[in-house]
Amino acid sequence: MGLIQKSRVKSPWILHFDNSSCNGCDIEVLACLTPLYDVERFGMVNMGNPKHADILLITGPVNRRTARVLKNLYEQVPDPKVVVCVGTCGATGGVFHNCYNVLGGVDKVIPVDVYVPGCSVRPEAIIDGVVMALQKLASMR
Amino acid sequence: MMINQLLLVFVVLVGAPIVGGLLFGIDRKITARMQGRYGPPIIQPFYDFFKLLGKEHIAVSKLQFVWIYGYLVFMIASLIFLVLKSDFLLLVFLLGFAAVSLVLGGFSTKSPYAHFGANRELMQIMAYEPILLLLAIAIYAQNGSFLISEIFKHDKPLLFTLWPLFLAVLYVLTIKMRKSPFDIATSHHGHQEIVKGVTTEYSGPYFALFHLAEWYEIILLLGIIALFWTNPLWVGILIALAAFIMELFIDNIAARLTVSWMVRLSWSVGLILGIANIAYIYLTKGVS
Amino acid sequence: MADTMMAIAILLPVVAGFLILAVRNYYARGAVVILTALILIANSVYFTLKGPFTYTPGGFNWGLLITILDYGILIFYLYIGFSLRNWLVLIFALTQIIPLAYFEFVMKAHIEVTPAFVIDNLSIVMTLVISIIGSLICIYAIRYMYDHEHHLHLEKSKQSRFLFWLVLFLGAMNGLVFANNLVWLYFFWEVTTLCCYQLISHDRTELAIKNAARALWMNATGGTAFILAIIYLYTTQGGANALSVQTIIGGGLQGSLVLLPVALLCYTGCTKAAQMPFQSWLLGAMVAPTPVSALLHSSTMVKAGVYLVVRLAPAFSGTYLSVVIALVGAFTFFGTSALAISQTTGKRVLAYSTIANLGLIIACAGINTPLSIAAAIMLIIFHAISKGLLFLCAGTIEHQIWSREIEDMEGLAVKAPLTTLITAVGILSMFLPPFGMLLGKWIALEAAYIVPLAAVFFVLASTLTIVFWTKWLGRLLQVLPKLGWPIEKLSPSYSVPLWTLLIGIFIVGIGIGPIYQNFLLAATNNVISGNQIISLGLNNLVLTTPSFLQREILGVFPVWPLYLILIVALLLPFLLIGLKPTELRPVYMCGEQAGGGAPDTDEWFAEADTVTKCQLGGYYYQSVLGEKRVCPWANAIAILLLVIMIGGVIVI
Repeated sequence: MGLIQKSRVKSPWILHFDNSSCNGCDIEVLACLTPLYDVERFGMVNMGNPKHADILLITGPVNRRTARVLKNLYEQVPDPKVVVCVGTCGATGGVFHNCYNVLGGVDKVIPVDVYVPGCSVRPEAIIDGVVMALQKLASMR
Repeated sequence: MMINQLLLVFVVLVGAPIVGGLLFGIDRKITARMQGRYGPPIIQPFYDFFKLLGKEHIAVSKLQFVWIYGYLVFMIASLIFLVLKSDFLLLVFLLGFAAVSLVLGGFSTKSPYAHFGANRELMQIMAYEPILLLLAIAIYAQNGSFLISEIFKHDKPLLFTLWPLFLAVLYVLTIKMRKSPFDIATSHHGHQEIVKGVTTEYSGPYFALFHLAEWYEIILLLGIIALFWTNPLWVGILIALAAFIMELFIDNIAARLTVSWMVRLSWSVGLILGIANIAYIYLTKGVS
Repeated sequence: MADTMMAIAILLPVVAGFLILAVRNYYARGAVVILTALILIANSVYFTLKGPFTYTPGGFNWGLLITILDYGILIFYLYIGFSLRNWLVLIFALTQIIPLAYFEFVMKAHIEVTPAFVIDNLSIVMTLVISIIGSLICIYAIRYMYDHEHHLHLEKSKQSRFLFWLVLFLGAMNGLVFANNLVWLYFFWEVTTLCCYQLISHDRTELAIKNAARALWMNATGGTAFILAIIYLYTTQGGANALSVQTIIGGGLQGSLVLLPVALLCYTGCTKAAQMPFQSWLLGAMVAPTPVSALLHSSTMVKAGVYLVVRLAPAFSGTYLSVVIALVGAFTFFGTSALAISQTTGKRVLAYSTIANLGLIIACAGINTPLSIAAAIMLIIFHAISKGLLFLCAGTIEHQIWSREIEDMEGLAVKAPLTTLITAVGILSMFLPPFGMLLGKWIALEAAYIVPLAAVFFVLASTLTIVFWTKWLGRLLQVLPKLGWPIEKLSPSYSVPLWTLLIGIFIVGIGIGPIYQNFLLAATNNVISGNQIISLGLNNLVLTTPSFLQREILGVFPVWPLYLILIVALLLPFLLIGLKPTELRPVYMCGEQAGGGAPDTDEWFAEADTVTKCQLGGYYYQSVLGEKRVCPWANAIAILLLVIMIGGVIVI
């Protein structure tokens, strides 16, 4: 692996975005940052800023308003980027999938690379999903 | 003479970012251990740097490039001035130009978060700049010259006579290293209060340049602290590293203060220490 | 030859002024101004080439003419005082006219001072500044006043009157810096005050007249001190030979209390230079059209005040008065820099910054070493260029957005990229290395330890200047993500002075080593002997201690390497790095931007999806640094310092 490719795997910076989720998955994402799971040892840092991020960690189903926001943020993330959908809500709409304002899963708006199922998702599964995303990131140009 | 200096400059230009990056890696490791975690590997900053280099070029304004290069080049110029043992006062002014460039980089777009960050960064400059300038005058008062080479010629370390200013310079170190309680304009890793502040709109390779400039900056700051004990120089370097470790402790103990508290504290405590120091030297030594 | 040169310097502007009054055509008037400007500039260069000389005009009773005109001006002040019901103007006109009359008619003073004019290197430096920068500003004023009157929809044009006073003023300034005869100096001083009043009140609004009157009475207190100094010198030193500047600075005064007239003259200089507590007249003068602010209130007239203090420096060298003058200047530098942070109008920021830098120059005169005097002269030159440029930029900006407020200048880089570029370089040249203003400030700081309290004030003020300049420049640059900013067209009357001054900053800055050695050193030696600045190698300025036996190096300033670093740091990225449209992204507004994905939108969806414009506001810290908070105690301290300055001379 080239230096840059190796560095991409070793230094994944995350943008965590919550669509209209119930916050269950968000709490699990933040739990990953605590000393118990400590994802910082993999170089993962939660950047609040799309322009600094590599991995978009998205929770919750997409509704009309957040579709617009999500598209805006996705465009601000520079390539190469991967999108990780956390939770069943992000995949298909989950418990909210029939609501009047819900459009469905995240892939209705932006292309998704990794789906992490669960309601709510365990931190170990989130880490697993991010590692899978990193492997995809490493193979990008 | 010239060749020696050029060689020294080259070594510093190449070696300083490496040492600086490692210092930042050690910073993150020790912080993690203090928080009961494992923490990233020590060479993590280099992984971050190369990853950023590989990102797509995006920008919000052409002016961003100008100011980030200004920040980097003037930071390198200040470090070269330190290494070539030139004029300390001019070094402080060059460092000021670097800091102003960063602020203007934050101002180079109409972005709300960059706007707050840039104004806060300007307040940070206002907080620490008087202390550095007073240090320059104190060095002159003690040695009769502003040249750093003169500091090396004296046997007695500056720390003995300039210890109040040493304490004030530790304030400066906290602010410049962006450690709590003064990590106000753009905080490291994980703080999202103002979404990265000054560096919000920077991404990819230009953000990597920002990190590179930070690595030069930490070597420059530790070098300035090392000036307090130049005979032998390794004691000064040890003191600098001890100050660095102490900053990590302070960072993990303290909560962030507001901008007005930062300015108040540095303009009261810092200025009192600095002015008292200079007054004492003036009254005991007179003007040489 | 000397006759022609002096006549051109002092009398040509008067003649040209009257010619301008007579000409009604815009282009013909412009031609007269440009021709006068070119002749004055050539003349000042001729002064430089000729070198120092002395001159006494003959053939005509100039002294009588000056006396008559003196009384004319003072009676005009009385008239203003009466017609405006302004008692302060009235009182301080009386305090000048009564002692003057007493001096003339009761004491029957015979004033014959030879030589009447002494043109030494310091005067030549001043006349270069006046002629070159002053002429450029007059050229700028041609088009500026035309646009100004069109914007105000004036029916009757007053451009001739404006240009008359502006050009006349140049002649008065030349006379001021050449004069050796104190009474003639007083006359030229009063003419500048008169021009100041006429130009500030040009627009004839209530505010303009009120501020012009304030400028008048504050400067009149200076004039009163001037006359008192003249009378004191005449009576205690036994005659007119004491009324010569060269005698005063040459140590030709005897007896006790010789410092009193010097202190009074320095007080006069302080009022003209709007030092604290007199800064309000300069701030009030900002209501005038921009060429007035550029010429009188930054480059030239206020420089007359600091010129007088620098010129008199040998007279108070080594005394208690020197230290107090250093503190007066240093405190003003600090106080006005703090006040500048809270100003929201561009011209008021420039005004406070001008007063601050004048304070720095006066403090350098007070510190009174070869190093600090060299710094003072360099600062006079560099400040005139940079501040003149900035005021002209402020005027150009004002005529493009029709506002003087900094908040309205947000994002000017898109609307007027060329003006913004010139303004940006102007602002950077005021406080950053390697430019000349910072060089002067660096030398001043290296010389300042002799009066350590002044050094502390310099440090604090230096810090404060960084804040307000960066804040303002930042506001100009805050643009939305957009490519292809069309470059605006500027009339030559605007662009020629702007570009000339901009290039001048670089030429004088880069060539400062040879300029100092061949020219400014001689000017410094007119005030104090000795040289502490050596230029080595690639224009490296080395500052040394003054001792002849063993020179120790105080500091080094490598001029050319620093300019090289500046080019690499800022110019190369500006020219070489491109940005493609596909690489443009919107700013981060939490993803809430409206505009359907276009990057150059600043509207966003607020509550209930209403479309709102993103509004940014600059920080002015008015609750801490506003005039209401700072002025009471700062003015009090400044008044105390002035009392100590003059009173201390009597007591000690």
